[in-house]
Amino acid sequence: MPDRLTEGLIDLLRPLLAVLLGLAVGAVAIWATGHPVGEAYAALWNGAFGNRTFLGSTLARSSTIALAGLGVAVAFRAGALNLGGEGQLALGGLAAALFTIYVPLPGPLPLVAGLLAGAAGGALWALLPAWLEVRFRVQLLISSLLLNYVAVYSASYLVSVPFRDLSGGGALAQTRLIPEAARIALLPGTRMHAGILITLALSLVLWFVMMRTVTGYEWRMTGLNPDFARYGGVDRVRALVTAMLVSGAVAGLGGAIEVMAVYHRYIDGNLTRPGFAWSGLMAALLADNHPLGVLLAAFLLGVIQVGSTGMERTTQIPLEISSVVQAVIVLFVSVRIGADLLRRFRGRRAARG
Amino acid sequence: MSRAPAIAATGLVKVYPGGVVANDGVSLRVEPGSIHAVVGENGAGKTTLMNLLYGMEQPTAGEIRIHGEPVAFRSPHDAIARGVGMVHQHFMLFPSLTVAENIVLGREPHRFGRLDRREAAARVADLAERHRLPIDPLARVGDLPVGLQQRVEILKTLYRGAEIIILDEPTAVLTPQESDELLAVMRHLADQGKTILFISHKLAEVLAVSDRITVLRGGRVVGERERAETDMDELATLMVGRLPAPPATFRREPGAPALRVERLWVRGPRGEPAVQGVTFTVRRGEIVGIAGVAGNGQSELIGALTGLVPAAEGRILLDGQDITRLSVRERRAAGMAHIPEDRYRWGSAREASVADTAAMGPHYRPPLSRRGLIDRSAWLRRAAAIVAEYRVRTPGLWARAGALSGGNLQKLVVGRELAGDAHCLIVAEPSRGVDLAAAAFIHDQLLARRERGDAILLVSADLGELMALSDRILVMYEGRIVGEVARDQADERQIGLWMAGADLPAGDPPGDPASAQQGGDAGA
Repeated sequence: MPDRLTEGLIDLLRPLLAVLLGLAVGAVAIWATGHPVGEAYAALWNGAFGNRTFLGSTLARSSTIALAGLGVAVAFRAGALNLGGEGQLALGGLAAALFTIYVPLPGPLPLVAGLLAGAAGGALWALLPAWLEVRFRVQLLISSLLLNYVAVYSASYLVSVPFRDLSGGGALAQTRLIPEAARIALLPGTRMHAGILITLALSLVLWFVMMRTVTGYEWRMTGLNPDFARYGGVDRVRALVTAMLVSGAVAGLGGAIEVMAVYHRYIDGNLTRPGFAWSGLMAALLADNHPLGVLLAAFLLGVIQVGSTGMERTTQIPLEISSVVQAVIVLFVSVRIGADLLRRFRGRRAARG
Repeated sequence: MSRAPAIAATGLVKVYPGGVVANDGVSLRVEPGSIHAVVGENGAGKTTLMNLLYGMEQPTAGEIRIHGEPVAFRSPHDAIARGVGMVHQHFMLFPSLTVAENIVLGREPHRFGRLDRREAAARVADLAERHRLPIDPLARVGDLPVGLQQRVEILKTLYRGAEIIILDEPTAVLTPQESDELLAVMRHLADQGKTILFISHKLAEVLAVSDRITVLRGGRVVGERERAETDMDELATLMVGRLPAPPATFRREPGAPALRVERLWVRGPRGEPAVQGVTFTVRRGEIVGIAGVAGNGQSELIGALTGLVPAAEGRILLDGQDITRLSVRERRAAGMAHIPEDRYRWGSAREASVADTAAMGPHYRPPLSRRGLIDRSAWLRRAAAIVAEYRVRTPGLWARAGALSGGNLQKLVVGRELAGDAHCLIVAEPSRGVDLAAAAFIHDQLLARRERGDAILLVSADLGELMALSDRILVMYEGRIVGEVARDQADERQIGLWMAGADLPAGDPPGDPASAQQGGDAGA
């Protein structure tokens, strides 16, 4: 009788192994560029955890990666290969900024309204590829990916021309500052913000939705075998659309929190340049689309990313090394996924008869 | 015989991770040039045994000798190198390639570094002639009927130099006529000195063709007989440990019409008219069987009835209500259940748990869920009840559905569909790839539902199954119903001819005259 606990442990160990292998390959890369490995990784550790400020940055970055990753996880679980996280994140951030700036609301309402606007922005943008798939059978994987360019450059235009902040000479493509009431509090002296609590809560909520609600069940079954779901009376269009809406909303929320907590305005490129969406995708892959696992994976990626900026500051090692480490980790995880697919394929053949 | 046996397996043990013992000290001795059958229930370990002999899996203990030499196959590659070939139940062919290309794949004749098509075709034609397996080497495999595709598989093993050919349930997908041909081919190959080892559930054909028969039960050999010294009763008893029940007796007379299909047209996957103006009625307390070779519109008919495929034309009525445009869920809510023809494609998701598999269908409403929230204990209770009642062997309710053997997964699917109070059952291939005991159990369940007054449409490629269960049998050929016969007048030969498209009635086709007329008009 297969032991669930052991199986779960093995599932946990595999990504960990991937991480260790990634670090090992990174060590080779560091060594090859002529730098002491121990010193480099110590600097990385220090850059991520060295003091309150560093730790705060690590957590803040992990939080946004986690939201992007949760969005991916929801969609992927439902079999919708949503690669549009970048656009959803950007439009969510922009929607939050514009809504809070231009729709004055009393009391603490701007905070709530900003978050909702961000979620709505991401959700609506995610609806577009879903609609294209349902109506015209355009593959969601491709349309969502390409629509990133449309979203990111449209946002870029909007903050460069119509909504540009001209108050300080208008040198930068950015919106005005959002009102005080719409800003998410920071832990003093750090970049750590209350949005992290939203991320934590959301991952629990999404886990609950996936595992304990009818909608989540229909998503999962659609993702595992769309024919089985259809046979059982699951409305494929409904499952696809709801999963994409939630996926986009979560990513949009990530953009909104980033805007409302960190920059207090939408600054062109600030949501795309750090690669939140792609780190989120990696996190989802690492965690096999498990909402709670995404948190851990996002934290790991946050540590490597923030840590390596510290490493670059204190040593001569280029930032790109951290990209190498991350890529290798994802590569090793993908190898595992590939092996799983192979095993499944073989299992299918063996199981026949 | 003084020669070394073609296959001599001694004390084979296969333990799967997790502790399932699939083979528990199996010994098997197959004489060269003989036909040897392995029969047994699903989960008896037949497939595992074949996989061990073909190198798809490695034994935990025990020894295999091929022509007297001990071997340790690490993959089918090794097995092929030793002259062992296997024809799987589900063919592994490329439909878009020609017969010759499929056969030579992996060992292609080359010319100037490219596949030499002419040489390939010539070799295949020669091979086919030598073994008296006529086939057109240049035909596209996808265009061939199942029987010929199987022939391609057999030729493939011969091309690779197989002296020992393992066939996994070779007749499961064939018409009676095709089966007869295959049995003749097997006999001919054996006469040429090839050794044939095959798995089957059909004891009649096992007795017709085998020289020797090994019976497995629970991973052990429970009997080994010369053909001459045994009979069907004994084999069946050995397999299941008891005698199978006699054919069903019907007490109840069919009642009011429940499912009515009127001039139904359905398009197939490539837009072709797969179902062409079919009309029939299934009454309450009646089992209507649909016979036919796979691919004659049965799948599309089932799809249209259950709401998975839109009807192009015509009407479907359930209890007088037009359900032609209703969704799958609405049809299920109206009292329809569906045992799908392919439990893997439609009936389950490999990576879903047994509990999640058992919930599908009524999962969205009480008692399984309330206000969109899953009631976990109801979810588990339902799965546990089905597992218990249908004796589904599973490591647990959270095990992957894919971890279940074919027969056990089928019992789970059947149990799920019969767990509700549906009164119209669309049943396709309920015992495909399922052992005798499980098949008998499933048949009993269907008959019980008939007695209860449910309307049952039974689509099956297994004529024996249809004859045992149906009140009436309709025969489908190329999208039409070309024959109808009542249970007590059923004649296997006549049905076989209808299935093969021969002997089509010249005048009025049986069944509904309207359907014939409609079919004729629109088909012109």
